[in-house]
Amino acid sequence: MIDQVIAYQHGIFPRSEDVVAATRGLERGRVARQAVDARFEADLDLFVQTQREARLDYFSNGMLRWQDVFRPFVEACSGLQARALVRWFDNNSFFRAPEIIGALRPDVGFASVASPLGVPEPRLACLPSPYLFSRAAHASGNRNTLMLEVAKYVLRPAIEELVKQGCGLVHLQEPWLAYFGIELGDWDEFERALHELRDVAPADLVTIVLHTYFGDVAPYAARLRGMPVDAVGIDLVETDQSALRGPWEGGLLLGLLDGRSSVVEPVEESARLIRSIAETLEPSALYLSSNCELEFLPSDVARRKVLRLGEIARRVREAS
Amino acid sequence: MSEARARISTPLLTHELGSLDKPGWRVKANAGAQLEEGDVEEARIWGERLQVPDYQDLLELLARSPLGEEERAEVRRWSSRYGLRLLESAGLDVVYDGEQQRSEMYAWAVAHADGFEWRGSVRAFDNKYYSKAAVTGPLSLREPYHNDEFSLLSSIARSMLKVPVTGPYTIADWSFDERFFRNRDLALPASERRRTRHAARRSFVQEVARELIRPNLEALIGLGALWIQIDEPGASTNREELDLFVESFNVAVEGLDAFFSTHLCFSDYELFFPAIEAMHGCRQFAVGFANYDARELGRSGDARPGYAVISKFRDLPYQPILGLGVLDIHSDFVESPELVRDRILYAVDVFGDPNRIQVTPDCGLRTRSWDVAYRKLANMVAGVALAKRELRLS
Repeated sequence: MIDQVIAYQHGIFPRSEDVVAATRGLERGRVARQAVDARFEADLDLFVQTQREARLDYFSNGMLRWQDVFRPFVEACSGLQARALVRWFDNNSFFRAPEIIGALRPDVGFASVASPLGVPEPRLACLPSPYLFSRAAHASGNRNTLMLEVAKYVLRPAIEELVKQGCGLVHLQEPWLAYFGIELGDWDEFERALHELRDVAPADLVTIVLHTYFGDVAPYAARLRGMPVDAVGIDLVETDQSALRGPWEGGLLLGLLDGRSSVVEPVEESARLIRSIAETLEPSALYLSSNCELEFLPSDVARRKVLRLGEIARRVREAS
Repeated sequence: MSEARARISTPLLTHELGSLDKPGWRVKANAGAQLEEGDVEEARIWGERLQVPDYQDLLELLARSPLGEEERAEVRRWSSRYGLRLLESAGLDVVYDGEQQRSEMYAWAVAHADGFEWRGSVRAFDNKYYSKAAVTGPLSLREPYHNDEFSLLSSIARSMLKVPVTGPYTIADWSFDERFFRNRDLALPASERRRTRHAARRSFVQEVARELIRPNLEALIGLGALWIQIDEPGASTNREELDLFVESFNVAVEGLDAFFSTHLCFSDYELFFPAIEAMHGCRQFAVGFANYDARELGRSGDARPGYAVISKFRDLPYQPILGLGVLDIHSDFVESPELVRDRILYAVDVFGDPNRIQVTPDCGLRTRSWDVAYRKLANMVAGVALAKRELRLS
């Protein structure tokens, strides 16, 4: 029996062909900034409309203007810069690694991260997990110390701002743990870093989801479930779900839409699998989304996947 | 011919990599747009600066814009002449044309093949995107797609040519697979899914190598190409598929008579080892390092953190040459000749043999303006001269 099924789309959503052309033109000095802004606004409108049409439970701004998952934080904080281009895990996609060049302090604020403009409630925001941030950064020194500093001085103030703006769900992206793993001795520090975030996001106001992807996290499931978050996300495309054991205390996010495949998932087969997993693991709440951000797909394909997510969620609810 | 082959092995030989930005006059004319005075002036300035023979003919052609189809093709050929002259004028030993006639390294290959369908644009980073296709049917080559440009460049180049060809693994990796990997049932055990996915991927990559790349290589060799660089920026994308990259390189080049090299960039290069120990047909690895390196001078390991991995290339059993990336192509920072020199001398010290080091940018300079690209390349050549002086090679 599944009591609560919540569907939302996380991560950076792909830009439309119009925005692609406009931003290319901007860089070549052939398109004005205002024209680019207008294209971005049209993209946001379409993405909100798509989420509405899919009847998703939370609305995202699609992070359409974000150059990568770290960039707004680099721009908002002193002590960080973005320079070296690094492959984003096993994708033909790259990010500029945040480079630590001084003490981390919020500088210009997090308006670009927390702005609710154009996004209806209830809203979700997507942030890099502190473990991911500390490992992807270019830095010398102890990574766990950095993780705590990132949590305290970068992510925590951003979440405070999000809470002020009425954000209802904070989705923490954590591909590093799933892809590269984690040392036994790092778990406690990771947990402490998450507590820093939980402290400013009261559970009755904000749901925190820690979402792992790009790897099989079945071996880490027991420890992940003990983290101070409301739900843990798994990448169903990469994770051996038969290795997961219930009861799953807490919420579970199933990342079932493959964000790296242009093939759109079937409704019935997907709904059947979700019900089967939910019945086995008995999570307190079930969240449905894609395994990873959809920005590896062209926008039309991604839009079809979001609509399909809504269909699958409805099918799961109907059958429960 | 044998003299030309011998020149390929010159110590600290310099060469280009990949594409240059396409000038505004080329982009607009090719799109059938009306050119503005500034576009024509840009063609004039660079024509004069690079001393492109008969460039006034281009100016006359551009003045007639918007252009018809054959005239646009002529503009693309002019763009090739300009690209070639830019690289020659910067002083490089081995050149091409900055891929001025190609749409883009992946799109150009796919557009000349059957078996793909376009799906749309996908972002690579920042505001840089590429068009992505899906494989949907049996792959075949419509026609060899580098012959025309190679024939043109052979007829006008003053320096040796190296033909860049997009590699099979990269073409497969940058495509969606809607044909080979069919059983996506998430209820299957993960290990079985991975096995099925890997097998499907092998079929895809090998079909690209066999049906698209090898026929192109054969055609180029038939036209006299001596050095062909298989570009594989996607090679290290997936650490579990390095065997597929190596196999596909071997399938594409085995038994063909040319100097084959490969280009790798923006990766954790440690991942390539030990897989590339089986890549015997590769005589040179051109690899980007400057992106990861410090900008201060120095020849010690501490001073050159971006080059820490090069000893692994040194230790490959078949002793390939290392094409040392010394220019960060994602920045307008123009490396000084002294910085280039120090990067080279560090690498020569690690290899213990300047014959195994050649010098290149990290990757194609297409994200830089021609002015920045030219200054970077000229400084690279100057840095090589400084290094040669210290090594008493000049």
